Order: sequence, then C-alpha cells, then structure tokens
Amino acid sequence: MNKKLLLWITVIGILTILAIDDIVEDWSTIDGSFEKIYIFFSQDLFPPDWSILSSEPNIKCNSEIGFFCSQAWKGISETLQMAFIATVLGFVISLPIASLAANNLYPLSIAMAARVFLAGLRSLPSIIWALIFTIAIGFGPFPGVLAMTLYTIGYLGKLQYEAIEGIANEPLEASMAMGLTKSERFLFVVIPESSNNLISQLLFMFEYNVRHGTVLGLVGAGGIGQYIDTNLKFFVYDKAMAFLIVIFVVVVIIDILSMVIRSYVTDESDFKRPKWWTVFLPGDAAMSINRKSLEEE
Amino acid sequence: MDEVTISSDLTAGLEPIIQLRSLNIGYGKSLAKDITAEIYTGDRIAIIGPSGVGKTTLLRTIAGLIAPLSGEINNNCSGRGDIGYIPQKLGLVRHSSAKSNVMLGARTRKSRLHLPFLGLGEELNKEVDQLLQKLGISEISDEPVRILSGGQQRRVAIARALIQKPKLIVADEFLGELDADNIDSIIDILETQLSEINATLVMVEHQENIARSLATRIWRIVDNQIIEERVE
Repeated sequence: MNKKLLLWITVIGILTILAIDDIVEDWSTIDGSFEKIYIFFSQDLFPPDWSILSSEPNIKCNSEIGFFCSQAWKGISETLQMAFIATVLGFVISLPIASLAANNLYPLSIAMAARVFLAGLRSLPSIIWALIFTIAIGFGPFPGVLAMTLYTIGYLGKLQYEAIEGIANEPLEASMAMGLTKSERFLFVVIPESSNNLISQLLFMFEYNVRHGTVLGLVGAGGIGQYIDTNLKFFVYDKAMAFLIVIFVVVVIIDILSMVIRSYVTDESDFKRPKWWTVFLPGDAAMSINRKSLEEE
Repeated sequence: MDEVTISSDLTAGLEPIIQLRSLNIGYGKSLAKDITAEIYTGDRIAIIGPSGVGKTTLLRTIAGLIAPLSGEINNNCSGRGDIGYIPQKLGLVRHSSAKSNVMLGARTRKSRLHLPFLGLGEELNKEVDQLLQKLGISEISDEPVRILSGGQQRRVAIARALIQKPKLIVADEFLGELDADNIDSIIDILETQLSEINATLVMVEHQENIARSLATRIWRIVDNQIIEERVE
C-alpha cells in the first residue's frame, strides 16, 4: 500500500478513536448494554401486537373490511398522502428554482442566490420545520405536509441543479446558436436531457418523505408517527414494533416500485429491465447481476 | 498561430452575411490572430487543417457561441433561427424523439413570444414530416434519438438545421465515423436542400476529399496561416 495513503488512514483512525473517547464519558456504562438490548427486543418489542391491523372503534370508517378501519391503515395512508403531496408540490416548486441555480443556464450571481435560498430551506431538518408549523398552525397532517414540502424544495432543488449541470453541453449550445429562448431551452432541452435523473430523484424523494413522514408524527404533525409516538409514551412497545414493521414493508414496496418505474427511463431500459429482486441487494451486487443478465441475452 | 489573413476577390461586389475583421480567437489564450474574412450567401466553406490549430474555435466564434478575444464580427445572422448549428457530437436531445428534435428547429420559425407549450401548427408539422421523408428518417421519427444509428442521428441533426431555413449552417466534422455510402447519400441530400433554401454552409472537415465534394471555398490552416482555395 502507498505510504501516503497508509499515513492518512492512520491519522484518520487516531482522530476517530480520540473523538469517540471524548464523546463517551464513562466506558463502564456500556457494560451489560447488549443484554439490555436483547431483553428489550425479546420481551418488549417481540412479538409485535398485530391488533393494529384490525378494525379500531375510534376510527371513523365506512369500509366493511376491518383492515381499512385499522390504525395501521389510517396511519400509513395518511403518511403516504402527506409524502405524495409534499413530493409533488416540492418538485413543481423546486424545478424552476433549480434551473436558476444551474450555472450552465444562468450567470453565477443568479445561480449563487438560488443556491443560498435552497441551502437555507435544507439547513433545517423537516422535523424542525414541522415543529415550527405545529406551533403556527396546530397539530395534524397539514403542518407535516408544509414541513416536508419546504424540505423537499431545498433537498430536491440541490439534486436537480446538479443533474441539470451534468447534462451534455452540446444540445444546449446548439439550441443557443439556433436562437431558442431560455424557457424553450429549459423545456425542450434541459428537462428531456435530465429526465432520467429528475424522475429517479423524484421517486427517491417520495421514498425519503415516507420514511421521514413517520418521524414528523413525533412532534404532532400527523401520519403513522403519531401512533408510534403515543405507543412509545405509554410504553406499549409491541404495538410500536408492529407499526415499525408496517413502515418497513411499505418502504420496501415503494423501493421495488420505484426501481421498476426508473427502469423505464434509463438508457439500458431500451434493451433490458433489471430484475425486481435485486432491490434487496447492495448497489454493486445488484448492478453486477443486472449487467450479467444483459450480457447473457 | 499568428498573422492569419484570408483574401478573396472572387466574391467582390456582393454583400457578406458575416465579416470577420482582425479577429483574435481562443479561450483566454489566443489560438489564432488577425483573421479577416467574409462569408457570402450561398458559400460552401470548409475549414481544414491539423488538430489543435483552432478550426472548431473559429467555427464556434462564427456561430456566436464564444466571443473573440479581440477584433470585430459584423454578423447579419444574429436573428432567431438564422444559424443552424451541428456540433461534432451533433447536440441532439437524446431522450427526445427524432421528430421532437427537428421540431426544436422548426420552433425558431415562430416568434420568441410564441408560448412554449403551444403547438407549431399543422403546416409546419407537415413540413417537418416532408423533410423527414426526404432525409429517409420518417420511419424512425418517433424513436428516441439515443437508440438511433450514427447515420440516422446525423440525418436528424441535419433536418433540425434545415427546417429552420437558416441563413447559415455551421457544422463541425458532422460526417465523422460514417461509411462511404452514408457520406455520399448525406452530401447529396444536403446539397439539394441547401440550394432549395439558399443557405450558406461553413464546416470543419478533417477529410479533404469530403471537404472538396461539398465545399466551394476551402480555408486551409497550415503553418499559422489560412490559405483560401476555390474548389471548381
């Protein structure tokens, strides 16, 4: 191994150990922690209480199917709706701001101003925005949607301007030489050229918002998180665990759907779509399997 | 490269569409100095010479994509759609269909105030279809550009430039990597169409035989000089 690289690894290793030592004030607190975690998992969390999937009398519901009147359905459907609205609104608002922030479309002064704005929105996590909006508006899913929308604008806007800056320069130059206006260039060159990335980011953001939507309930901003929060406060861990498993299943389903949708917009999709089950594998392994099956064909 | 001058008295008395006066071109650092030349309506100019002498830089300067370091350009092709540009990698929108790319060129025939989401009208649509037919790419008009062959992509790029009915088409080695049959066919189509719309062509070409088959004037860059030659 290269001596310089070895030196860097040693320095970073030492700094990491020093930082951990500084943070952990008393190493003796770790004693017995694994046993405590084991007891917590085996006695408090498991088996999960699946009554959350059954009809709940307190929930107003017209359906004859019990599951659709359950806490799990009410919670997850509310979270999905919040995430969907926030992702769509965030996408629509962030795209024009991202175009202003892309330095291959606008001068640096305009790009910098747009970037600072996006960074400002991104600097507060969605839970802090949710806290601000629950104070301003009150409890419920609406402040949660506003919080997620603002964060989506900041986060998605950054991903979008990076994608826009990554597009090939030649189509842009050709359209400039032709005399197309900025809005025509944006609509007919930039958006189609970066469409794969934009769709991919949109799906990623939806999945991200579903996961984060569960946390927003902790500050009273609606969704399944509110049920988890209530159960945790009353130490009903088995129910909380059932809610967490529901979230896990939903996130995996969204991940699979998102991979299938994305497979329609990649260059390789003209010839071959990836295998759905590779979603459970690490990125490199999934890519290698999909590439191999492509070569076999 | 220094002291570049071009002299031609063959076009005396005509009004040039582009005049280059003592042009100094490059990206920060000068690549070529003192370029003086005129481009006239109907000219077919091929810029040839070894790699790295500033052929593409000169072409991009003519297309208005980069400003000269010094000197003056009198450009009568600065209106919307006056220049059709075919860069080396063609500059097509890969994820859009062949027809959408050509429609992009057609859009320049509408005013700048024509709202982007409005259609271009039946007549222009029909004209695009006819041009695609002439260029032999009507069957693949709905396919995304990224899956088309090199020859088909070049035809799309040419169609996009031609549909503009531009005063000037600027093309950078746009026939590169094509087989001889494809080159001959594209040259035939281009010559006919250029005459039909009375457009001027300035192109960079590294293969001299191709340059000669299409050009009426050759600007050869050799030993820091541009030597102009008339092709009979």
